[in-house]
Amino acid sequence: MATIAASRIKRELKEVKADAELIKDDVSVELMDNSYLALTGEIPGPKDTPYEGGTFHLKIIIPETYPFNPPQVSFTTKIWHPNISSVTGAICLDILKDQWAAAMTLRTVLLSVQALLSLPEPDDPQDAVVAQQYKENQDAYRRTARHWACAYAGAKSSSRELDEKVERITEMGFNESDARDALSSTDWDVGRAVEKLMS
Amino acid sequence: MLPGEMFELLVKFDGQCCSVAVEAAWTVGRLKSEFAHCHSDDGLKPSDIEVIFCGKKLADELILQDCELQETSTVFATRKRSPRRCDDDASSMPGMDRPPEGRPEGYRSLGADMADLEPQVIQGIMSEEAGSHEQEPSTLHTGKMKPQIYVYCKSQCHSIQPGKLRVCCRTCKGGTFVVHQDPSCWEDVLTPFSISGVCQSDGCSGTIAEFYFKCGRHPTSDDYRAVALDLIKCNTRNVICLTCEDVRDRVLVFPCPARHTICLDCFAEYCQVQLNERRFTADGELGYTLPCPVRCPGSLIKETHHFRILGDEQYARYQRFGAEECLLQGGGVLCPAPGCGAGLVPDPGSRRVECVQQAGHGCGLVFCRECRNAYHPGDCDTTVAQPVTDGGGDAYTVSTERAAQAQWELSRSRETIRQTTKPCPKCKAPVEKSGGCMHMVCTVQQCKFEWCWVCSIEWNHQCMADHWFDVNG
Repeated sequence: MATIAASRIKRELKEVKADAELIKDDVSVELMDNSYLALTGEIPGPKDTPYEGGTFHLKIIIPETYPFNPPQVSFTTKIWHPNISSVTGAICLDILKDQWAAAMTLRTVLLSVQALLSLPEPDDPQDAVVAQQYKENQDAYRRTARHWACAYAGAKSSSRELDEKVERITEMGFNESDARDALSSTDWDVGRAVEKLMS
Repeated sequence: MLPGEMFELLVKFDGQCCSVAVEAAWTVGRLKSEFAHCHSDDGLKPSDIEVIFCGKKLADELILQDCELQETSTVFATRKRSPRRCDDDASSMPGMDRPPEGRPEGYRSLGADMADLEPQVIQGIMSEEAGSHEQEPSTLHTGKMKPQIYVYCKSQCHSIQPGKLRVCCRTCKGGTFVVHQDPSCWEDVLTPFSISGVCQSDGCSGTIAEFYFKCGRHPTSDDYRAVALDLIKCNTRNVICLTCEDVRDRVLVFPCPARHTICLDCFAEYCQVQLNERRFTADGELGYTLPCPVRCPGSLIKETHHFRILGDEQYARYQRFGAEECLLQGGGVLCPAPGCGAGLVPDPGSRRVECVQQAGHGCGLVFCRECRNAYHPGDCDTTVAQPVTDGGGDAYTVSTERAAQAQWELSRSRETIRQTTKPCPKCKAPVEKSGGCMHMVCTVQQCKFEWCWVCSIEWNHQCMADHWFDVNG
């Protein structure tokens, strides 16, 4: 019954808009239409993370069976994170799956997603490539995540070196985002990235 | 009903039921006189009679309407017992354990002292029950609180209704039973042998009370029983619903330590969603049930009649699912033939299962317990589902199984299932992947196997590293 879902979301929306903690962090959520079943969220990259300065957008789809089933939350801004798919933006977060409980709210979801950006959990990854890099080459992970935040989420002060590498590959006629994907998953080795793109 | 209005009270005496026209403002003494008058042929005198209602002897001074007596109420009359039983009588009279000066204490309804029973604000529900003859005028004007029990009325209303608590003798089932003390909690009422008393009927030496419930909406026959829904309460504390956050009149309070509270509309929705997703818990002791939506430990609902809120059709579905889960947990299987689904308990040592045709059940299919296809010698072929056939033969006959296969629509759905699903490597249930990563968790309650969509094997670190997230999967 959509009525319980809609009336819950109506209240939760008010709660989120009035929540001091979320307002302080500039976390916000808006309706996509009048149905109360589709929302967009906005989360700024947390301080002292590679995502700082970026603004990340979320798509939140409320199932008709809400709150007995979790909302479907995904990133619409591309992001490099072990628990978020770099391809689809799907989030691997237990409370959005089997640990969901009807007493949780949009506020819980937003705070949890924000916390996930600060504290990745590489042992339960959504994106295995990112997770592997995070575990084996923290520095490459940080630089890549930072580069993505600048390229897609509007963060400033990107690394000139990485930008140039992307440029070098796009000059060969490859699409920019494909070039970035390939470089990111090869620890920015241009030769291997090109090889990957050709295969 | 107005104070001066006459109504019919049913009086049971010596196994006979007779109706007495009374006024709500009459005393019990007047009722006794009236009743004795009807039985003057037997030489019955008012002073010989005891009137028993809800486990209590009614004192002569009490006013009928104060005892919650109304149209369709049944009281029990007995001859006063011999002096031998006088000591029992002393404790059973309301107020008799206090000095007997002045008027005896007013009537207290059965269960009024139950600590875990919320009183109902009579005025609060008047709009809903306007015109009903349930409320006595005296309580209406004073806004008195009265404890409220809810029941599921199985035979007439088919819905959740305010109920009445009644007591009888466990031995003779007669209503002429006087309790030694009122029940003080649901446990007293629901646990047999909790409350003792004395049966007043001749020739019965019963000493144990048996509680039962009636629907408060209509008159009921002697053998009528309603099921008490002990978790449903009147929301006198104005607790918000866990789910919709509204404050509603009637709520269900889960037995978890936090006593999580949900309104009845949301509870119905919760049950329906969990049923549709087959997420009920098959508990060995309590049956097919649900925890509170926060999933607190100890929150499983004990009385499964609470799920009657689903309505008759969905409750039947609930019962079927529950029976299936019970069968599967006990090592049984369900026949895979379309439209059959008969529950079978196969021989543990054998892969060959026959859906035996008997008494209108079963379809005769012989299938493999491992792959759920037609029975075959040798290993199961898990790549392509084998069509179920009758095993050949050159006579031009079509078996019922083959006829089931050869249906236009069915063949399409079968094909779709084959193309879009993979069997769970453990329980073989066809699984459709509608999105997300390659890490699959079987949704079948007793399976919950974690497996890799790409490799069809148990989920492992290698799969996690190689193809956890593969777009083309």
